[in-house]
Amino acid sequence: MTVTQAISEASLDERDPVVRLQTVFDTGTMRLLTTRDDVGVLTAAGLVDGTRVIAFACDATRMGGALGAEGCRRIADAIDTAVRERVPVIGLWHSGGARIGEGVAALDGIGQIFAAMVRASGRIPQISVVLGPAAGGAAYGPALTDIVVMGPAGRVFVTGPEVVRSVTGEQVDMERLGGPDAHGRRSGVVHIVADSDTAAIEQARNLARLLGDQGRFCPDDVTVDTPESDLSTLLPAESARAYDVKPLIKRLLDEPGVELHAKWAPNIVTTLGRLAGRTVGVIANNPLRLGGCLDAASAEKAARFVRMCDSLGVPLVVLVDVPGYLPGVGQEWDGVVRRGAKLLHAFAEAVVPRVTLITRKAYGGAYIAMNSRALGATAVFAWPTAEVAVMGAPAAVNIIHRRTLAAAPPEEREELRARLIAEHERTEGGVNRALEIGVVDEIIKPTQTRRRIAEALAAAPPARGAHGNIPL
Amino acid sequence: MAEEIRAEMVANVWKVVASEGDTVSDGDTLVILESMKMEIPVVAESGGTLTQLAVKEGDVVQEGDLIAVIS
Repeated sequence: MTVTQAISEASLDERDPVVRLQTVFDTGTMRLLTTRDDVGVLTAAGLVDGTRVIAFACDATRMGGALGAEGCRRIADAIDTAVRERVPVIGLWHSGGARIGEGVAALDGIGQIFAAMVRASGRIPQISVVLGPAAGGAAYGPALTDIVVMGPAGRVFVTGPEVVRSVTGEQVDMERLGGPDAHGRRSGVVHIVADSDTAAIEQARNLARLLGDQGRFCPDDVTVDTPESDLSTLLPAESARAYDVKPLIKRLLDEPGVELHAKWAPNIVTTLGRLAGRTVGVIANNPLRLGGCLDAASAEKAARFVRMCDSLGVPLVVLVDVPGYLPGVGQEWDGVVRRGAKLLHAFAEAVVPRVTLITRKAYGGAYIAMNSRALGATAVFAWPTAEVAVMGAPAAVNIIHRRTLAAAPPEEREELRARLIAEHERTEGGVNRALEIGVVDEIIKPTQTRRRIAEALAAAPPARGAHGNIPL
Repeated sequence: MAEEIRAEMVANVWKVVASEGDTVSDGDTLVILESMKMEIPVVAESGGTLTQLAVKEGDVVQEGDLIAVIS
């Protein structure tokens, strides 16, 4: 069937899967892989900015997009085809879950989708766009993929408001239970919240382009030593002042990137974009939120991002300005040890080129976790004013020289403390000691940041982790 | 809809920058907290009128405490 035929048969219903699939592809490049019928799923192939992509869509005009065995087989086939062709797959979700009338056969089908997604995990980029409800089994479909984009009408939940009410007595509507705010801000299920369906599809296209056609590094094209290339002007003058790291990431990249999990665990920023012509993944502490501390959720968010990039062969840039791990009973009970360990594991196992830049400070355990030399960083750079230490000098002096300070006469104590802090900064703080022992490779000029990072990434042998991308 | 801005972590209120009744836009600094030896601006995430400012300089806020309301 041709596309024109398919459309002429379809109503102008905006839920129409052919209409939706067409918006994924470059004009005139879509070819349906399955016929339009009552199965409830359509699959298609075509180009996204010239890159081949496979896509599938639930047919919300047939039983609310409910999935039966045959529809599930189509989705699994589409994913397997994408793996064979080594191209990205985009799924458009709008489904009430399994077709109840088909019983266990439908459940088995949904299980087959999950199995296909896991087979494909880490081998091809898998992007989900949730345009309507994705309930029950359909909730875990997007959740198993690399990146989930949600439109304004997207709703993801395992059990709907009715069941929640009858079991727990909680009164909640679909939006509060599983809408963009619930998953974009609270649960972390959704990576990107879009304010229209068109914007959601556009983000999926951006991601398919960034991950499907990653480009190549051309470091020589990067401008250096101009006022515009001085990225350090984006840091505040006062060293203790927090700031938003996002403008820094924007200036680091060639063009605005795609930020994932922008509202969830915002104390770390994870962004895909191009640097010197090639796709990279940027991980950055954001001092504006929680002072840029690492905590349980942000470590987990970054760990998943690192593993996704590693499995898809995307080099990493790590921007470090971290005061430490967030202290507190809440954090410990939230599993900051277990979830923080994921980030250590993710960086230590990553084989893609990965360069660290310490912009201002790197303290304590958080220093180690942010792609340190010990965890196998390709290169660790620092700006001239950066500080690498177990903790800030005043805090360190209070611990190391506790007895000396206590023994000093009260009127001399503050002067002694100031002297000890200056002494500590000279011997232990700053970045020179880190250079001496080789945990920082080089101090770079802020005006050469883009060029030097691109060169270091380009010089490293390209590699790709041989593992899936479990949704940590 | 009113937007409530709450403390993300335990902190001292170091400086109050905005006042009740001010018109604020997305990204404007309302107060500056001091925590983890850093000065952390609390910024508006939406535009509107600052209808309530629930803290004053020197206060200690716990995680979840109300700082301001924008509507």
